[in-house]
Amino acid sequence: MTPILEVDAVSKTFRIPTVHRDTVRAHVLDLFRPRPSRPLRVLDGVSFAVRPGETLGIMGRNGSGKSTLLKIIAGIYRPDAGAVRLRAPLTSILELGLGWNPELDAIDNVYLLGSIMGLTLAEIRHALDSILDFAELRDFARLKLQHYSRGMASRLAYAVAFHAVRDILLLDEIFAVGDAGFRARCEARYQALAASGHTVLVVSHDTRTITTFCHRALLLEGGRIVAEGDGETVCKAYLALVDGKPGA
Amino acid sequence: MSAQTLGWLGIDRAALPGALWTLVRTDFKTRYRPTIGGFVWALLKPLAMFVVLLAVFSLVFRSEPQYRLNLIIGLFLWDFFVEATKVGLVSIQDKGFVLSKARFPAWILVVTSAANAVLTLLVFCVIIVAFLAASGRPPSPLAVGLFALYLLHFLVITLGFSLAASVLFLRYRDLNQVWEVVTQAGFFVAPIIYPLSVLPERVHAFVYLWPPTPIIQFSRRVLVDGVVPTARAHALLTLGTLAILGAGALIHRRAAPRAAEYL
Repeated sequence: MTPILEVDAVSKTFRIPTVHRDTVRAHVLDLFRPRPSRPLRVLDGVSFAVRPGETLGIMGRNGSGKSTLLKIIAGIYRPDAGAVRLRAPLTSILELGLGWNPELDAIDNVYLLGSIMGLTLAEIRHALDSILDFAELRDFARLKLQHYSRGMASRLAYAVAFHAVRDILLLDEIFAVGDAGFRARCEARYQALAASGHTVLVVSHDTRTITTFCHRALLLEGGRIVAEGDGETVCKAYLALVDGKPGA
Repeated sequence: MSAQTLGWLGIDRAALPGALWTLVRTDFKTRYRPTIGGFVWALLKPLAMFVVLLAVFSLVFRSEPQYRLNLIIGLFLWDFFVEATKVGLVSIQDKGFVLSKARFPAWILVVTSAANAVLTLLVFCVIIVAFLAASGRPPSPLAVGLFALYLLHFLVITLGFSLAASVLFLRYRDLNQVWEVVTQAGFFVAPIIYPLSVLPERVHAFVYLWPPTPIIQFSRRVLVDGVVPTARAHALLTLGTLAILGAGALIHRRAAPRAAEYL
């Protein structure tokens, strides 16, 4: 079967300047001085393919390149080398707890986030009630986001994102948000999406998420794939890595 | 949407109108606290400037018969230029959260950031035409049409600038301060509070290189003097405008794909 998503030898290096120079003033004053920087290779030739309807888990320690990989697949970052080939529309649910417009109320923020995620105005209008219900925030719909708790804002964001899902779904630490009731709703919605044939990529530290929800998983370490297989195998390798047993 | 189906716009065509409308509407709401009073308040600054400058400089340039009319045109157009470029320069930084969540084209943030300044400019245009009519010089339909054409050029110029400046600002974090100094100096370079005729003829060409100058001067020629600039002058204006847009779009196209990495 033709893969719906192919990641082909993707590499990404960030240049971390050892001397900070991010103003016109600094550039003018240091015009003829070299600009020292240290390369930080975050991804190093990562390749894998995902079949339509498959659920792939991605594990790795902090700094292993998971989030950068998701951002490259989502088209937010550009790889230095390699390519990502998508054969269907994609929705990413990344960093959703952050960055709302605090001056606007929940409904306006739903429109803002919904349209960024590719929904039309008619689709947002149609889904508005069920988004507010999913987030359990109907009573606070006209409250400005600056008065929301972080948990409430995250719930709202996930509710919007879950209504904007196209064919491929990217999730970053999805089940770490909200209370037990909200997590249960997210899981149910997630399972419904997977059951209806959506392709899903999940990044998580949580072994239960990977073993329960993923057909297959891979483990990233130092920007490379060091283990690949079913959820259980990769979770074992991950736990061995966390416990400091190299070569796991 | 997948990269293959988004095309050069960088966004699903069906979602584009909604994204544009929502960004403009929420920007307006945030800025003016959804009241008409908030919008009117924003108009007061240039109006107050006009009154003060008129009081001072109409004495200095007493020999200029149409000084008031020229001043109001110059000042309102200048106000649009400063507002639109100031907001455009920080537009990607201000709405950076959008770029970190999904694949979303940065140019939309730049274009929609100009909406408030355009709205203010439209109100100014009504005031300018009313002011001209009240002064016994109602502009002809041709003059109004040409004025609209100049405003369109002005909008394109500010967009060209903002497309480039907004991505450069992510790498040069004091660019807004540099631009503030440039616009402060630029206020005196453009013939806003003084008539161009007070400068020696040989420097006129240099003053015209500062983009607001031809827009302001051409607008005054058609609205106040009732004279249409030459075809060559129009061609130069259009060429210059397209050059600025082209340069801005090129810089933006080069730097925008990595914008999210600098936020």
